[in-house]
Amino acid sequence: MSFNAVTAAPGAVAQVFGWHRVRVVLFASLALGLLISVGSAATPVLVWIARALIVGLGALMAFGVAERWPVRLPAWVGRWFWQLLALVVAVPLAALLAYWVTVGGNPQFVENPARFIGFAQLSFAGIFFGLWIGLGAMVRQRETLARDQAMAFELERSELARQALDARMRLLQAQVQPHFLFNTLANVQALVEAGSPRASEVLGSLIRYLRAAVPRLDDSSTTLAEELDLVRAYLELMRIRMPDRLQFSVSAEVEAIEVSCPPMTLLTLVENAVRHGIDPSEDGGRIDVSVSAQDGRCRIRVDDSGVGLRATGDSLGTGLATLRERLQLAFGREAGLRLTARETGGVRAEVEFPMPRRSA
Amino acid sequence: MNSPAATALIADDEPLLREALVRLLANAWPQLQVVAQARNGREAVEQFEALQPAVCFLDVHMPGISGVDAARLIGHRAHLVFVTAFDQYAVEAFAQGALDYLVKPVEPARLADTVRRLKERLRAAQPALNTEALLQELATRLQRTTAAAPLRWIRASVGQSLRLIAVDDIDFLRSDEKYTSVAWRDGGAPSEALIRMPLKELVAQLDASHFVQVHRSVVVNLRSVSIVKRGENETADIHLKGRSEVLPVSRSYLHLFRQM
Repeated sequence: MSFNAVTAAPGAVAQVFGWHRVRVVLFASLALGLLISVGSAATPVLVWIARALIVGLGALMAFGVAERWPVRLPAWVGRWFWQLLALVVAVPLAALLAYWVTVGGNPQFVENPARFIGFAQLSFAGIFFGLWIGLGAMVRQRETLARDQAMAFELERSELARQALDARMRLLQAQVQPHFLFNTLANVQALVEAGSPRASEVLGSLIRYLRAAVPRLDDSSTTLAEELDLVRAYLELMRIRMPDRLQFSVSAEVEAIEVSCPPMTLLTLVENAVRHGIDPSEDGGRIDVSVSAQDGRCRIRVDDSGVGLRATGDSLGTGLATLRERLQLAFGREAGLRLTARETGGVRAEVEFPMPRRSA
Repeated sequence: MNSPAATALIADDEPLLREALVRLLANAWPQLQVVAQARNGREAVEQFEALQPAVCFLDVHMPGISGVDAARLIGHRAHLVFVTAFDQYAVEAFAQGALDYLVKPVEPARLADTVRRLKERLRAAQPALNTEALLQELATRLQRTTAAAPLRWIRASVGQSLRLIAVDDIDFLRSDEKYTSVAWRDGGAPSEALIRMPLKELVAQLDASHFVQVHRSVVVNLRSVSIVKRGENETADIHLKGRSEVLPVSRSYLHLFRQM
């Protein structure tokens, strides 16, 4: 299961006040304390360091809280701005607190201008350092996010590659069903034994079919012209087998036939029309295949006048589901496969995909 | 069975294979009279009733009524021989059930065996095997091998036309009394369809790892979820990828969206 919940991601608190951030703040506070103490001989170094630490931790607290709260900001306030604002407000308050703690009560700035100068120095230095460190933290966070996204993207890509491989494997397994092959061979044998002159013609169709249908392992696409040859060979074989039950026509526009497409695209549609439309029907029917090109898109249409979309229970879909997957892998959302019941009976199967540019 | 010449019926939807079997039988069993040839299961049963042949050669795979179904209608009134192309399930079942069967392309030697067995049975005037139970089992078994696949497509009305919708294209399903409305992608574009099946019945056939019920009347495809927003009072809203609809998650289904 993968979905993004808007509520905080796991480990959010640990991230906001993570050890990395605390370490950076401790180090910066130490440096700030030492720096300010150089200009002030009257106050011990350790006191300055303590003050700087309180300021640093206060700023970190404000920065972290503003990162998560409120959950939703008005659209015109950027989260980064909100966080830096919180930091700028928090530093003088934390500096005041630091003085309160280190002098043990009201620091009495009015009576003690030296203290006020120290307070001002601490505040300004805190804001100055704090802003830089805050910005740094944001950049770092964005980089982490980008890295995470890149990783997620990479993961998705490898997932797609795996799916493509799966689809290919299923395609290889699905090709040339033994049932079809043996039935066709039985027909060829019958013709040979009857001494029919059609035997060699049928063998010719079978050879053309097998040559195209037996997988060429390095091919990931064929042209529609090849697909059309394959489909003609297949339909001729089927007509030999069921001469009284199958008529067909195949037509194609010249512009479309050199277009490349995933292998077996056309054959899957036609096999499906035979298997689920014509074969289950006692009277059989027609299959009309047409390929056309329009507005840079290629459209394949297979109409059959068979039994139509029948109630559940037949295995319709394995071949079409794999075809759908292969089209998606090849064209993404640009490809479409639709199956519609025809008003005159039977099914219309359509596949549409963008034609590659000539130069490609 | 006193008549000297045995009679036979051959049923196959492929005419060349009918003729081939007639020719092979003429060699293997010259006395046999092929009195009828049928193109499908319905014709086979009709011609059997009309002519009462002693032996029926039935192709398993025929349009309309299959060979197995026709055999059940003929019952033990004839000696049955099944003919099938390469079909592992059927062949296994025939072998286990001690039914006579031939595998296409039919080999003369194998046919000679079958003919010898048939002749013996006819000579001994043995009644044909009572195969009803066996055939029933076989029929359900053959049906199961084709129907067991998980639901991948549903037939639904889109406007006036009937469409076949890939289950993967469905974003969510919403119960609409006796109907279920199907929100799906028609080539990427959000669309709506109606199916005349209660949601409960439909959900039972869907892949439970992708389709989850989130509300009494809503089932969502997890792959279509973009974000889940927590609301007040232990509820949440589901926002979908590329769709404007917002789906409610009711309290009893909220546990599905707890953080891992």
